[in-house]
Amino acid sequence: MAGEKRTMTLNLTDPEMRAVEDLCAKKDVSKTTLLRQALRLYQLVEARTEQGEKFFFEDADKKKAELMFL
Amino acid sequence: MKRIVTVLETETGSLIEAELDAEVTVDDLLATQREWRPYAIKAATALARQGSMELIPQHLHWDWTSKASQLDLLANSFIGLRVGASLQGIMKLQLVGDFCRARLPEQKGQSLIYLDYLESAPWNLKPLMDALGQQTRFNGIGSRLVRHAVEISLEEGFGGRLGLHSLPLTEMFYRDVCGMTPVGRDPSKQNLLWCEFTKEQANNFLAGARS
Repeated sequence: MAGEKRTMTLNLTDPEMRAVEDLCAKKDVSKTTLLRQALRLYQLVEARTEQGEKFFFEDADKKKAELMFL
Repeated sequence: MKRIVTVLETETGSLIEAELDAEVTVDDLLATQREWRPYAIKAATALARQGSMELIPQHLHWDWTSKASQLDLLANSFIGLRVGASLQGIMKLQLVGDFCRARLPEQKGQSLIYLDYLESAPWNLKPLMDALGQQTRFNGIGSRLVRHAVEISLEEGFGGRLGLHSLPLTEMFYRDVCGMTPVGRDPSKQNLLWCEFTKEQANNFLAGARS
């Protein structure tokens, strides 16, 4: 949460930067907020996966597809 | 991070210094079980004896200690509201996850903060204290926590957008007191009412809370 913040430089390719900008527009957030969201999500998924849980997407027909994380 | 605020003490009508604390610990979660639950059950028993079952808050079974393993995750934020050492209210926010996606047409799909759980200490809930023939200790604990959730939404870059599933007894509070839009029932969450703040509604709520 809020507290002392530190700055880092991030080098992205053009397609990566376009993806960031597209998501920022869609979500109505800044690049900083978007990347902090990505980190929160990654940490959450990693923590739950480490506990033996699995991460699924479910389509409209209730079919589940398991996602793999590195 | 801690922030000093004021809350209204019912008995004296005075504003008392309180602390919003984003460093909630396992001890705090244990305190809700140790200090809040027996008090709440005593008051709920009194309500039941008076034939007012419908006034018993629907969150009395909540066990905050079951969320201890989530304290360290960046995806969540636990905020306590204390007066002195005594916890007067607590909430859990989700900053990322399934429900952090706006549903109102004008902001559909945009990121928001999800207010997952919010609870005031039982001695701050009027129906419970009325049943015990006593005054509440502090007024407006829930409102103060909602206000802080909006402040966090602004600080974190979500523009004040906030979403939550309301229990039936609190629907009126979120809709009429806070000014959130009741979007609809959610079959994926016990058919609870999904309520949402737009940026504008959030700013209106903050402006009203300040005045």
